[in-house]
Parts: sequence; structure tokens; C-alpha cells
Amino acid sequence: MFENERDFRKLVAGMETNDEPSAAHRERLRRQTLQTFEQARARDVSVKTSGRNGVHTPPHPVWKLAIAAAVLIGASTAVWMGLDFAGGQPTFERIRAASESTPWLLAVATRYSDGDVGTDTYWSNLAAKEVYVMAEDEGVVGYSYGAGQMKLAYSPRLKTLVVSELPRTGPFGVESAYNFVQAFAVLAAKDDVVVERSTGEREGRPVWVYAIDAAPSVMRIEGKEVAGVRMTALADPRTKRVVAAGVEYKSPGGALLAREDWVMNYPQAGPSSIYDVGVPRTTRVFDTRQGYRGTPGDVPTPISTPSPTSGFRLEPLKMELPRAMFRGTPVDGRTPNLEKPRRDPRPAFLAPAGTTNVARGRPVSSSDLEPLTGSLDQITDGDKEATEGNAVELGPRPQYITIDLLEPCEVYAVVIWHQHRWPRVYYDVAVQVCDDPSFKTGVRTVFNNDADDSLGLGAGRDLHYTETYEGKLIDGKSTQGRYVRCYSNGNTHDELNHYIEVEVYGRPMKSIQSN
Amino acid sequence: MVAIMAEPVEQTGYDDLVVLAKSQTAALGRLYDLYYDRIFRFCVHRLFNRSTAEDVTSSVFLTVARGMPRFQGRTEQDFRSWIYTIAANQANAHIRKTIRRQRLMENAVAQRRARERDSDEWYSLDWPTLYAAIQGLKPEQQTVLTLRFFENMDYDAIAKVVGARPATVRVTLHRVLRRLQKVLGGNPGGEE
Repeated sequence: MFENERDFRKLVAGMETNDEPSAAHRERLRRQTLQTFEQARARDVSVKTSGRNGVHTPPHPVWKLAIAAAVLIGASTAVWMGLDFAGGQPTFERIRAASESTPWLLAVATRYSDGDVGTDTYWSNLAAKEVYVMAEDEGVVGYSYGAGQMKLAYSPRLKTLVVSELPRTGPFGVESAYNFVQAFAVLAAKDDVVVERSTGEREGRPVWVYAIDAAPSVMRIEGKEVAGVRMTALADPRTKRVVAAGVEYKSPGGALLAREDWVMNYPQAGPSSIYDVGVPRTTRVFDTRQGYRGTPGDVPTPISTPSPTSGFRLEPLKMELPRAMFRGTPVDGRTPNLEKPRRDPRPAFLAPAGTTNVARGRPVSSSDLEPLTGSLDQITDGDKEATEGNAVELGPRPQYITIDLLEPCEVYAVVIWHQHRWPRVYYDVAVQVCDDPSFKTGVRTVFNNDADDSLGLGAGRDLHYTETYEGKLIDGKSTQGRYVRCYSNGNTHDELNHYIEVEVYGRPMKSIQSN
Repeated sequence: MVAIMAEPVEQTGYDDLVVLAKSQTAALGRLYDLYYDRIFRFCVHRLFNRSTAEDVTSSVFLTVARGMPRFQGRTEQDFRSWIYTIAANQANAHIRKTIRRQRLMENAVAQRRARERDSDEWYSLDWPTLYAAIQGLKPEQQTVLTLRFFENMDYDAIAKVVGARPATVRVTLHRVLRRLQKVLGGNPGGEE
């Protein structure tokens, strides 16, 4: 047959392989290639123009003219509308009135203090004066400032809901403001507080900026006295509502002790009781005002709230799981901060009714220009089986994929199957949601287990986890955005990055607003 | 940095073209003309089927078009390694993704045999039979084999495409040929 490489080469050279290209295909593909290149080049130029690492390129003179025209149009519109503007910008009282004109305020607050990062979600029923605070540890606290005048605290560890009177003092005390907008307004109304008004930009759109410096009565953060608080509220000139805010807590020496970033939304409907925000209906209830009131299995009395304006309710997320490829989850002693494997199936995840996988069939791009195996569209094709060739393999070192949901969505959960054929642990997993395709502004990180900040996104506090057929379900925290980006940095088996499927459970903003 | 600078870079007359092609459509068109035939032939040899090869070739050039503005290479050698890497990956992905591969192979062999019945021409070892044997190799081994014997690349160039050391490529090829020798020698018809 053949003895060596030279023989084999002769053998191949003598073969008829019918490899003459077709002229028609060559010409057709030539046109497509050059067209695609021009589109890619236009996108590349546009990304470069918008600035990298927060450094903005000075606008072209033509753009300057366009911006000036937009400012003039904006100013004349404001005058025409006859608002009580001071220099085109209304007082914060008007912002507060517009913000509280809707039944609900949904705020997500991210706290940063001494390397710690935590996120709380606040559902404020503005009509009934009630607040539900959902913490990262799945604990929920409800405050009723209206007719109920009580506090409900649910501990997932104790599986108990404790009912008590509202505290007299503190940020959620009887006489406290019960949402950020109100708190800002109360402080801003004090005689010795000056409200600074200016304009700024958020996610490429102009915003009105309101800032105050206040001195809290008694406040400590991790034992350190807080001498001053600087609160900043950003309002959308179109809706006149607060859309984002920030709080800086400073020590007597002026050092920054902690800060909070807030993002606000104004949904038309919200949870009808504390049981709609993650508290199991079968939990036992302990009422400190009346003594022991329930036993497990009793139907507890929900916090009194008015009927929601629409059919908002939370229900377990329905998800099809692939076949399990191995039994049990071996503990990997080499990986630090590894999540303890669960013995039982994952508990149901509650999401608003009507939540679907909004990533199905959506386009995916990647930091690796060319996957080593597979194609990126496999990541959202709905096939989660860990069969041969079903995983997309990206190169070594940190890599990310970005899913374009094609429209802004409210994200409740992101589920990732990297490669569940073997019990691997993928390093530096991070998930971000953003409206900016370049992920430069308005980026929200919903998961990050990159403890040593290898990715440069900030050190994460989430745990490593072992791949299983259930995938990793990440709470999306109702974050809004059009793009979802997932990072990883190799795994316990090799330096490569794999994706079998990524699902994003949420609802398009359009459908939420129309409800 | 020292290692990169010390690396010998093959100079060709098209290095400037590669740099220009990052920003100029006409330059990319010229590169396309230079590489279309090579990539198409590579795909035919890897996938055996002309229409599948056209699909994968399209995919390769569209990927190149999308990535060209951000392509980091500066020489034609860089570009060649890049485009062959994309082509090899696309072909491997296609093979892994589709279960049509076996069917394609069977169809091709059937077509070939039908033609042979009407023709007097017959090789003791023909391309469908050899391809059937190659099909039994791992996709990465197939890539190395195709680059070496159909694209006539040297070990260094293949190593750049597949991301391995030249010595590894040499060993892989040696093993691949021994495997083919065994398969074809034991069963020249390729029907196992």
C-alpha cells in the first residue's frame, strides 16, 4: 500500500478528489464577505468612538453640533411644558411626586463596604405604604407603614416568619421614610441641607442629578462611626422619575466607609403579599405581639396589601433538564470556596408568571473569535444534553460569551451548563447584564465567584460550584438589560472554557409595561 | 517579548496586503481571491462533499470578515495560520455537530462506485476508500493529515494552525500514517 510519508504523498497526489471550486459560489461568497467586513468595520469604529475604559473620545464637530441642537430642543420643550424649572431642571419635590405617582417602586441596591458586596431588592408598594426587602441570603423582611403598622421577618435558616411591631427608630422605623425617594426628599427638605442640582449622563442618556450632604443622627458601619452621608439621585428628564441613585457613607475624617448603588424601576404591579417574594406559604409564623400563632402547615395570615392592579404572581420556574451524566457530586478538594453539593434536586425558583427563556435562539458572540469546536449558536439552541460534540469549546484564559436578547428584558434567572459530562468546576464564573453592547456603562454583575479578581471585574464573593445536569441557576435579581455576558477561566480538567447551553429567564420590558 | 522577536517570520509579498485588509475592503477582496481556492480545497479534502465544503468555506470567510478589523497579525504567515485555524475548527465542528457525516460518506462511496461501473478507470486505492479510512481518525488528526498532504504545509506551519509544537505534529503524523497503513493494509476495500 505505502511504506512511508513519501509513498503516501505520491498516493494522494495521484488521486482524483474533484476539488475544483465553483465560480458562482466564489463570486457570491466574495460579495457576502466584503459586505460583512464593511458592517464589522462600521461596528468596530462605532465601539472605538464611544470610548474604552470609560475614557470618552472627544466628539466629532458634526456630533457637537447635533448635541447642541438636541440641548436646544430639550430646553425649549421644557419651557413649552411650563414646568417649575430652575434653569430647566425641576425641584426634587416634583421628581418625588412623579416617582411616587406609580403604584410600585422596585429598587435594587448593591452595597460595597470593606471588600464586601451585597445586593438587596426592595419592592415598595407606594399606594399601601409597604416594603418587601429581599436579601441575598433569601431572607425577606416586610414593613407595613399603612394600616398594618408591623414588621415581618422571614429567616430561611429557621424557616420562621416573625411578626413584630415596627421599630421606633432606625432607617425602617415608624417615622422613617420607607423608600429611597422619600428618604432623599425628607432629608432634602431640611433647612440646613442644600440640594445641588446639575445634569449628567447615564447609559448614554441625559439625566438630572440631585445631590445632598446629610449628617445622620447615629449610624455605624462595621463599628465605625458614620459622620456624613452623600446621597445622589439621578432622574430621567422624560419621565421625571428617579432611575438611579448612590449613597456614600463617610467617616469623621472624610474617608469613604461604604457606598450603595441603586437602580429604580416603576412596575405597574408587584407582589400581593410577603409569600409572593420567596417566603414559603407553609412556613411557621411567630407573632411576638400575640405569642405563638401557627404551626407548620397552617395557613398564615399574609401582610395586608391591596389587590395588585394586574395578575402579578410568582410561580416556580419551569425548566427542562438534560439527562444526568454521572451520579452524585464528588467533592473536589483542590478547589477553594467550593459550594457544598446538594443531595436533593434544586428547590423551585420563583419568578413572575409569564417568565420564559428569552435567550432561546438568540445570537451569541464571544471573546474567542473562533471557537475550538462547535458553533456559538449551539449555546442558545435549547439542546442541553452533554453528548459528544454538543459543547462549544473556547480557548484558554478568561473568555466570555455575550447573548443578545434583541430587546431589553427583566432578567430573573440565568442558568448555565458549561459541561456537565464530568463533575468539573469552572473557574472565575461571572454573569453580567447590561444594555450597552460594549459592557462599558450600566453593567450589573449578578454572579461572580472570581475571588482573586483574575477577570478584573472586582473580587466576587460567590462560591465555586461543580457542574451537574441541573446547570447553575443564578438569580438575575430582576436586573434589566438587553445583553447577558458570561465569563469563565478554564476548569479543573483543562484550561479551556465550555458551554453547552445558557438560558436566561425573564420577560421583555415591553410586555411588562403593557401589563 | 524576546521570544516573539526572535521568532523567524516568513516574509512574503503580501504582508502589506494583510495590514491594509484590516481597514480596506479592496485589500480584503484581494486576500479573498488569494485564499478562496486553497480554503475550498482544504474543506473538500476534510469534508469530502462539495456542497458541505462550500457551506463551511462560506462560514470561514464570513468569520474572517467579521474578525478582520480586530485581527492582530501583521504578516501573511499570521493570516494564513489564522484562516487555516478557522477552517480546521469549522470543519471539525461541522463533523462533530452533524450525524450526516456517515451518510455523506456512504453517498459519496456509492456515487463513486456507480461511476466506476461506467468507467474503465480504477485505482487500487481510490479517494473514497482512503477518505473512509481517514474518517476513522480523530478530527485533529484529520486536520494535520490534510494540511500536510493536501495543503503541503511544513511542520512549523501546521503547528501554528493546530496550536501544537512541531515535534508533536511530527509524532501525530507518524502515528496517523501507521494507523492508516494498518487499516488499509488489513482491509483494502475499507469496508470493516
